[in-house]
Amino acid sequence: MIGLGVESTAHTFSCAILEKKGKQGKILSDVRKIYRPPEGEGIHPREASRHHVENSAIVLSECLQEAGVTIKDLDIVSYAAGPGLGPCLRVGAVVARSLASYYNIPIYPVNHAIGHIELGKLLTGAKNPLVLLVSGGHTMLLAFLNKQWRVFGETLDITLGQLLDQFGRSLGFASPCGKNIEDLALSTSNYVLLPYSVKGNDVSFSGLLSATKSIVQKSKADACFSLQETAFAMISETVERALSFTRKKELLVVGGVAANKRLSEMLQDVCKRHGCKFFVAPQKYAGDCGSQICWTGLLESQVKKGVSLEETFVTQSWRLDSVKVDY
Amino acid sequence: MKLLKKGAEADIYLTRWDNLPAILKVRKAKRYRNPILDAKIRKQRTIKESQIISEVKSYGIPTPLVYYVNLKKSSITMQEIPGKPVHDLPDSKIIELSTEIGRLVGMMHKNGIMHGDLTTSNFILYKNKVYVIDFGLSQKTIKPEDHAVDLRLIKEILNSAHAKIMESTWKNFLLGYKSVVGPTNYAKITNLVSVIESRGRYATVV
Repeated sequence: MIGLGVESTAHTFSCAILEKKGKQGKILSDVRKIYRPPEGEGIHPREASRHHVENSAIVLSECLQEAGVTIKDLDIVSYAAGPGLGPCLRVGAVVARSLASYYNIPIYPVNHAIGHIELGKLLTGAKNPLVLLVSGGHTMLLAFLNKQWRVFGETLDITLGQLLDQFGRSLGFASPCGKNIEDLALSTSNYVLLPYSVKGNDVSFSGLLSATKSIVQKSKADACFSLQETAFAMISETVERALSFTRKKELLVVGGVAANKRLSEMLQDVCKRHGCKFFVAPQKYAGDCGSQICWTGLLESQVKKGVSLEETFVTQSWRLDSVKVDY
Repeated sequence: MKLLKKGAEADIYLTRWDNLPAILKVRKAKRYRNPILDAKIRKQRTIKESQIISEVKSYGIPTPLVYYVNLKKSSITMQEIPGKPVHDLPDSKIIELSTEIGRLVGMMHKNGIMHGDLTTSNFILYKNKVYVIDFGLSQKTIKPEDHAVDLRLIKEILNSAHAKIMESTWKNFLLGYKSVVGPTNYAKITNLVSVIESRGRYATVV
């Protein structure tokens, strides 16, 4: 079974081809082009979607070429139907619909966040994990129960990715800023106390963002270091709470912020204390990519026939805990 | 001393105090956390927990009796409640006890206390009485928003860990809660719960 996945929820336009044999999945190609906003600015949805439109044809043909398959070899096409930025989502959907209707290939709308989890499971071999999804769009703790991913904790306001990006942009970095902040933080170990807000299994970052902005004047590096230490400690504590409550023996970290080494280090320490296995999505596939969409589509194709063109939707708001998982 | 549980925040030991079985709760230093932040959190929570766990007793809420507090070690020695966490009880029992849990939460809120960590593991059934434990994240607050955060948390837990019985437990919880805080406060706080939920990521915007 060969599938094509199209991802275009935010800054990344990506196409990937995967082959599924039984439970095994193999990534044949994963090509992406990432929209970079000017320094100090965030994603402009219109500009990002323009970028996606301009790059979609190149990305698609490169992805087919690299995988060594033609469109006729495709058994299914899946696309990220949400959550994400409306104008960006539409580009991916149009690409997928065009292929599906012209070549008569079954089409699958996929939840982008579920994609992160499924690809993480495929690539790490985690079986029954507590999942930490940390990205620009999500900060959630999830466990699978009774055919649905259930939320055990989440952010009450902005996400970890937004926290890092919004702070980074105030320093003049270009989004995504996680790497810049991580690098700058390495240059110091001078901790400034910042607001720490854990509410049960939930976190809140907005106060931390304002407070960190207010200490930048003294030292940018100290601010970056203290921001990371505080925010990641909050995440680690909620992970610890959820592990202790759910008694899961595996932790899987997925999403763009999973690439941060300091966060991984802290979470590994948490896992050690709870006798829990630690899995993190490989750096190349932690962030947004076509593979996550393709693999989830392939999984869905085990139990569903695909949808008719009239039913191919996109939606900006689509919580992953509202998706029934039947495969 | 026997280690009973490695909780999220603290290690729980079974010990003795004045020849009675007792619980020793130690908030050990966390290696992953910056030492300055870590020390602050552990001290603050030990103080909060020991104060509020005692204070709520006067409102008629069953909690363990605090025997001894050691701030240097961030530890609390307290009465052992040898019952079972509500989390581990059969579904039918959890449904039944939800009203009582709602009532207890209502009593805390009515007296200006937010528990801060309302999960089904933090209620213990012992001799037909429900005890409330783990006040490390509790706060003295009369703000309806804070009380709503409490309700949202228990709702989240029911919706995740107890998804199959979510509807009946939540209904019973609210019933018990309303009976204590009264219809006006009830309406105000449950309305705020919806407001918080609507602020959530990708919540369906009507």
